[in-house]
Amino acid sequence: MIDNTVVVSTPPHVKSARTTRSIMLDVIIALLPCAVMGIVFFGWRAVMLELVTVASCVATEFVYFFIANKGFGSKCKNAGKVCLKWVKQFDCTSIVTGLILALILPSYVHWYEALIGAIFAIAIVKMFFGGTGKNLVNPAAAARVFMLLSFGATMVKYVAPSIDPVQLESELYTGATNLAGLLPNAVPGAGYHAAAPVSFLTSLDLFLGTGVAGCIGETSAAAILVGYIYLCARKVIKWWQPLLMLAVLGFAQVLFTGIRYGEYDMAFFLPSVLSGGAAFGAVFMFTDYVTSPKGVWGQLVYYVAGALLIAALRVLTMVEVVSYVILIMNLLVPLIDKFIRRRPFGYVKPEKGGKTK
Amino acid sequence: MKAKQGKFFFGGVHPHDMKQLAKAAAIERMPAPETVAVSTLQSLGKPATPVVEVGQEVVEGEVIARGDGPISSDVFASVCGVVTEIKDMPGASGADEKFIFIKNNGKKDKRYLPPLDQPSGEEIRGRIKDAGIVGLGGAGFPAAVKVAPKTPVDTLILNGAECEPYLTCDYRLMLEKSDEIARGARLAAKALGVENIIIGIEANKPDAIEIFEKYDDIQVVILKKQYPMGGEKQLIYVATGRKVKLGKLPADSGVVVMNVATCYAVCEAVELGKPLYERALTVSGKAVKTPKNVWVKNGTKIADIVNFCGGEIHRPTKVIQGGPMTGTALADYEGYTHKTTSGILLMTEDEAANSQPTPCISCGKCADVCPMKLMPVDTAFYAAAGDYESAAKYGGALACIECGACEYICPAKRPLIQSIRKTKAELRKKK
Repeated sequence: MIDNTVVVSTPPHVKSARTTRSIMLDVIIALLPCAVMGIVFFGWRAVMLELVTVASCVATEFVYFFIANKGFGSKCKNAGKVCLKWVKQFDCTSIVTGLILALILPSYVHWYEALIGAIFAIAIVKMFFGGTGKNLVNPAAAARVFMLLSFGATMVKYVAPSIDPVQLESELYTGATNLAGLLPNAVPGAGYHAAAPVSFLTSLDLFLGTGVAGCIGETSAAAILVGYIYLCARKVIKWWQPLLMLAVLGFAQVLFTGIRYGEYDMAFFLPSVLSGGAAFGAVFMFTDYVTSPKGVWGQLVYYVAGALLIAALRVLTMVEVVSYVILIMNLLVPLIDKFIRRRPFGYVKPEKGGKTK
Repeated sequence: MKAKQGKFFFGGVHPHDMKQLAKAAAIERMPAPETVAVSTLQSLGKPATPVVEVGQEVVEGEVIARGDGPISSDVFASVCGVVTEIKDMPGASGADEKFIFIKNNGKKDKRYLPPLDQPSGEEIRGRIKDAGIVGLGGAGFPAAVKVAPKTPVDTLILNGAECEPYLTCDYRLMLEKSDEIARGARLAAKALGVENIIIGIEANKPDAIEIFEKYDDIQVVILKKQYPMGGEKQLIYVATGRKVKLGKLPADSGVVVMNVATCYAVCEAVELGKPLYERALTVSGKAVKTPKNVWVKNGTKIADIVNFCGGEIHRPTKVIQGGPMTGTALADYEGYTHKTTSGILLMTEDEAANSQPTPCISCGKCADVCPMKLMPVDTAFYAAAGDYESAAKYGGALACIECGACEYICPAKRPLIQSIRKTKAELRKKK
């Protein structure tokens, strides 16, 4: 009466419906407001870059998978089977990487530069290290830094949305984050010195992203907020993580700027949180599962240290440092995970000199 | 006594409880089967030694195997009949157990111990041992050891959480036999020398909570719906606020926990003299025709129980002995029930998890839900590399209660419990 259709496995025999793919789909949905706002502000160039990065990330992953699984072997006999296998295991992580990469690029970037960046992100940063879950650093952040070093000219051409990037090249703002030249008092630390700074942009502008020069997805804090709320509601990220990071960042910015320039002004708080890549990074990039600590205490250290490092480097270097800090913190994660260990329920302190446990 | 609200414990998951399937079914007595096969390994510790021979006639309630270790319990004949065979067979865990086969001869005789009237604590403890009572919640820790703790205790907690999805036999028992459970609890409390009796019942059983509120000497604690609320350490924490230290027994924190079904068995053993050779269990799942709660003789073939419940209506994807979170998956219906068998579940494809693992994305959700605050992800990582010392050091595998919450929540469907068990086994081997 019984045949071999019955599955025998270790418990538990019921599991939650959540899969890696569903989590990644949620991240994609959460990124959509930023992607859409980027298109609203930066027009067809944003559409083009988003399509190029996503398509090339997915394609790179496919090609790598195809080669690694011997799709070309024995005269491509297995090609169909390998393709099917790829579709079955496809977990949408490469779409997320592609989308994030597009959103942290300035709109002036050429399509072939974006293509190279995307290939770097997937092939070198992710697949060479073992694919999903094995990469040491955030692929999108690594690709951005790679592009900053490789295509220095275009990667810092932050364009205010109202300006046609092709015609008015002379008016492009290059410098520390989008806002360095444009907004002396809004860029925390960077460029701030003037006694009477002139500001075109209010915090409200920074919040909505209207008229702000910058990367495609980073300018509108409002869109990021929508994505943040969605991620929290779907329990993809913990609600306190980005909040903690941004709060620490804001206070640290006030403090560090004060130490350097002798003037403590809470007016720096909001601009430091809202400008540059901080908010986007805190919600979508620092929270990347693979490259952030697994334990709660480790996460606490990770977000606080990341925020302090951003604030300090902003004051010291006057360049936008979020991607660099993401990479640095990513590399510290194995250490954090190893040294910050949680105590089990009912933990007893080992007696001095005695046996442990 | 008025019910008290229990606290939350750290972590935990919320699987769908699926209790509606068998919740309304009153416990039904299954007719004695043609043949029973009673295992001599019915509790933690050493298996009992058979004291009957092939061909010998036995009576329901007669001792057929003696537990002779410190953590071991007697085994009884569950039907009248003739011993036809004593042989080793793989049990539910896959390891060999000795089974005593008894062919039912249809007689209605019973051999009970003499009932005790106004027993002393000493007498109750002796009776719990003589009646072969073990913890019926799942682990099967001999109750006689539990009621004779080495450290002073002040509280007895009855475990009526039944936090495993699907299972409803404890719930039905609480509704139908509440007086017996209360009397059993008082007897156990007397054996322990404690006055304070607490019963923890999960909030999804309001009728059971209401029933137990009417006993003046029993404090009801309403447990939050959170899995594994019925875990001993978690239950003690939410009911009393005490934390059981790692590597210690609950008794070291002054608490003894007993399942409600165990209390019922204590009551019967003292008042009627009935040894433990039958129990209530739940037959459920969407693949079985009529989900039921059934009184089953110890050693009944699982196929007979499934047939008693109308058989399959769908092909099950998984057949589980016990609850879906901690139970054992069976390959067929050829096994036999034990004292600790709390359920037989026939799960269809859409109920049972049967997915291939994908790469770990280090999301840390397993750590977030771990009620013991461990790091299952690290255990799995080091165990995969064969470094079991690090698996225990960084993952805390040795403190794991194997509740399955981590693997339930894992989006990558990693076999975490398996790696934890492997770590424990490897380290045990090394010792």
